[in-house]
Amino acid sequence: MTGFIIRRLLQLPLVLFTVVVVTFALVWLIPGNPMLQEGRQPPPEVVEAMNRQYQLDSPVTFFGGYLARVSGVGWVLGWNDTPFDLGPSMRHPDWTVNEIIGAGFPISATIGLGAIAIALVIGTVAGIIGGLRPGSWLDAGTQLIALIGISVPSFVTGSFLIVLLAAKFRIFPIAGWGTPAHALLPMLTLSLPFAAYIARLLRFGLVEQMSTDHLRTALAKGLSRRQAAWRHALKNAFLPVLSFLGPATAVAMTGSFVVEKVFAIPGLGRHFVDAVLGKDITLVMGIVLVYAFLLIVLNLAVDVLYAWIDPRIDLAGTGAR
Amino acid sequence: MRWIVAAFVIVLFAGALLTLDGSRTRADITFASADVFTLDPQRMSYMQDLRISRSLFEGLCSHDPETNAAVPGVALNWETSPDGKTWTFHLRPDARWTNGDPVTSVDFRNSWRRLLLPDTAADYSELLFSVRGARSFFAWRTNALAQYAAGTKHDAETASALWETTLSTFDKMVGIHTPDPQTLVVELENPVPYWLDLCAFQTLAPIHQPSLDKFRKIDAATGIMRSDTGWTKPGVLVTNGPMKLVEWRYKRGMRLEPNKFYVGPNAPIAKSVEVVPIEDANTAVLAYESGSIDWISDLTAEFRADLAESSRKWLDRYREEYDLRIAAGASVDEALAALPAPDAALGERRDVHVLSSFGTDFWSFNCRPTLSNGHANPFSDARVRRAFALAVDKAALTKSVTRLNELVATTIVPRDSINGYVSPAGLPFDIARAKEEMAAAGWIDRTGDGIVENAAGDPFPTVDMLYMTGNPRVKNIAIALASMWRDALGVQCELRGKDGKFAKEDLRRGNFMIARGGWYGDYADPTTFLDLAKTGNGNNDRAFSNARFDGLLAQAAAELDPTKRMAILTEAERLLVEEEMPMLPLCQYVTLYMYDPAKIRGIIRHPRLDQRLSLLHRIDEQTAKPSP
Repeated sequence: MTGFIIRRLLQLPLVLFTVVVVTFALVWLIPGNPMLQEGRQPPPEVVEAMNRQYQLDSPVTFFGGYLARVSGVGWVLGWNDTPFDLGPSMRHPDWTVNEIIGAGFPISATIGLGAIAIALVIGTVAGIIGGLRPGSWLDAGTQLIALIGISVPSFVTGSFLIVLLAAKFRIFPIAGWGTPAHALLPMLTLSLPFAAYIARLLRFGLVEQMSTDHLRTALAKGLSRRQAAWRHALKNAFLPVLSFLGPATAVAMTGSFVVEKVFAIPGLGRHFVDAVLGKDITLVMGIVLVYAFLLIVLNLAVDVLYAWIDPRIDLAGTGAR
Repeated sequence: MRWIVAAFVIVLFAGALLTLDGSRTRADITFASADVFTLDPQRMSYMQDLRISRSLFEGLCSHDPETNAAVPGVALNWETSPDGKTWTFHLRPDARWTNGDPVTSVDFRNSWRRLLLPDTAADYSELLFSVRGARSFFAWRTNALAQYAAGTKHDAETASALWETTLSTFDKMVGIHTPDPQTLVVELENPVPYWLDLCAFQTLAPIHQPSLDKFRKIDAATGIMRSDTGWTKPGVLVTNGPMKLVEWRYKRGMRLEPNKFYVGPNAPIAKSVEVVPIEDANTAVLAYESGSIDWISDLTAEFRADLAESSRKWLDRYREEYDLRIAAGASVDEALAALPAPDAALGERRDVHVLSSFGTDFWSFNCRPTLSNGHANPFSDARVRRAFALAVDKAALTKSVTRLNELVATTIVPRDSINGYVSPAGLPFDIARAKEEMAAAGWIDRTGDGIVENAAGDPFPTVDMLYMTGNPRVKNIAIALASMWRDALGVQCELRGKDGKFAKEDLRRGNFMIARGGWYGDYADPTTFLDLAKTGNGNNDRAFSNARFDGLLAQAAAELDPTKRMAILTEAERLLVEEEMPMLPLCQYVTLYMYDPAKIRGIIRHPRLDQRLSLLHRIDEQTAKPSP
């Protein structure tokens, strides 16, 4: 297992490098100049000075300098003052990419983690209700709600929740960030598709588990359906949910830009979309790096956790199944 | 297993709540704005940045809130030489920075030098190109940096030697002098009638050099003097305006409070102002309705025309009383606040304000002889351009397409927006005349199929109309124009919507026949609009080139008599909007504000819409005075 983890960690820089190269090529190809407003164009000599100042006149110089600065090589060689410096944002020259990510990521992570927590609670309850009584109206009801939860896009749910709970009943603030009340509606909005998916996973897992031999034995020994499910079926039924949680957490933490936009939350997802639209080269690359790093590490964590819970999984690849 | 899950949920929640920082006290005035890009005065170019800067930094001049005329700022008074080329400004001796340092003429020289250094990469460097030697200095430094980069020695010593040379070259070359701390002398290449207006423009505001110096360093590899991020952050930024920056969090908002060191004509009324960036237009309206924001500084929600209609309905009911109050000398907001409250049951409101702004909505004709695909361009013929302009019913556009009843425009310079400038008449809406122009250009429906053909029998090429997606208003206008031209002139149009940056690229390459344009003026002079049609201008997307027009602009630039100069500019614009028609003006831009005049005051309604946050204040906590 240790060998597996070390191997995966050694691959990390290579994967990140590939991601940076591909991202840079794509962002560089977006037409336009990040330094300029859409509507007006300064005299040619001014545009030329801007391009020179930001090395926009040569992708090779730009990317070379960027790699040296970001990787820490420039720091080792004494070109830069700090290692892992993602540089200033090109559209927001008063902020470094490090500052922007430092401010935005915790917020996106908050919404993502909170959403997964809510999704676990809602999904588990709904899944158990349906799974214990398959075919009942309760089951049909929770399944229908889960279907809606998966299908309705979050900008619709978000707007609906704002109009209902914030604008009409004034229980929550409309938009912005700061207090727990600000966080709850976006978390709930983001959690619904995950909750629905968890409910469906758990429900089908439970139904399947309830018809296995060991459960029949438990029932034959005189346990009630509820006791049998609680003691024996639930644990196994939960395994698929657990393996879903890893990627789901990563997705929730990195993919909340729609929710962030609807609720005017200054999270990383919104910064990313704005950066792409504005061709903010350094900011796009910085955020992509963080996302890539996060996805790789979280996936690794899931693999390790899964092996720990289910000893049948052979991470080392020795083939000893 | 259950415990693991329960513990996991608890840890997730605990982690989630860590980043919250609790509730804060609400500012006196909170308003929604587009996101601020920079607070560095020399680097800024966006309207929302300039708006904040106006309260943080004060230039030599500022603007009168009512008339927008240039009035004293840091400069108490000034003199001009008889030839209009030398200006001497006398600065207030008591002007102070937020750290207590005196504001001196050297601070202005430093900031103007910074604006003129290619190192700064400032959008608005050109505003100072009218100063003697400024443009040459910009070119000199650009060239010196290029030579440095091409050279072999790239060490800190060589780079700072170049910097020292740059400073002394600036002093020799550029006509900006500081004989004493309270006197600033500026020499211009030519007389610039709107020079004082430029002196009130925010990119010419002074900077506190010592606080910036901590964040500047010379890059030995390129020789460029770079300013690091960080010097515009709260606690670091030293400013000289009526307000100071208390808090700024990336895309979370900004808070300003009065600057206790400020002495000058713009003493703040505001106690605290908070700016929140809300991107989603509908969320902004909901936030306003819930009372968490007091003012939406650009109402863009798709249903804004309906909101505006509700306010118009209410005002129409009390129009007589409103007019009486205005005639008696009340301001618009005072008059609105004194009228009976709107009846929500009738769908009335009083908080949506449609304000004319200093900008013109127009469409551009591609004036190149051939299109980017090599085909002949029918719009290189001025008669065709005039025909297309004559065939547009602009009143119908603003009434039933945009539904905001903007002022219809027949000129590029907004009518009555510049003192002393008389706008030409422009072309009316006249379909018969439009058809005559088309016929004169050889486009006649020869086959009776409803499509015009030229003498060779080729039909008029399908008109390629380029517009930027993302704004339903623009698309609706494009659809309406296409149908007007089809019905009136017998031409087929094809709409081509593209995302902003891609559309801009097509404009640059001339890949369009007609494209959506539009322009906001930067300073109070017709040339801020007319320069768009100058040969070779960076914003002349149409590639229009007319020797007579260029000649008139040059003649105006050399004319010392302001009245004669304005007359020359009127003739230049007449040439544009009555004969050559490179741009088809549709209407004057409007900006929609949402605020309740019974709650807040201090919003400027002059078309330049140069808001001063220091003027904003609440009135609803005070006891309402009964109306007489």
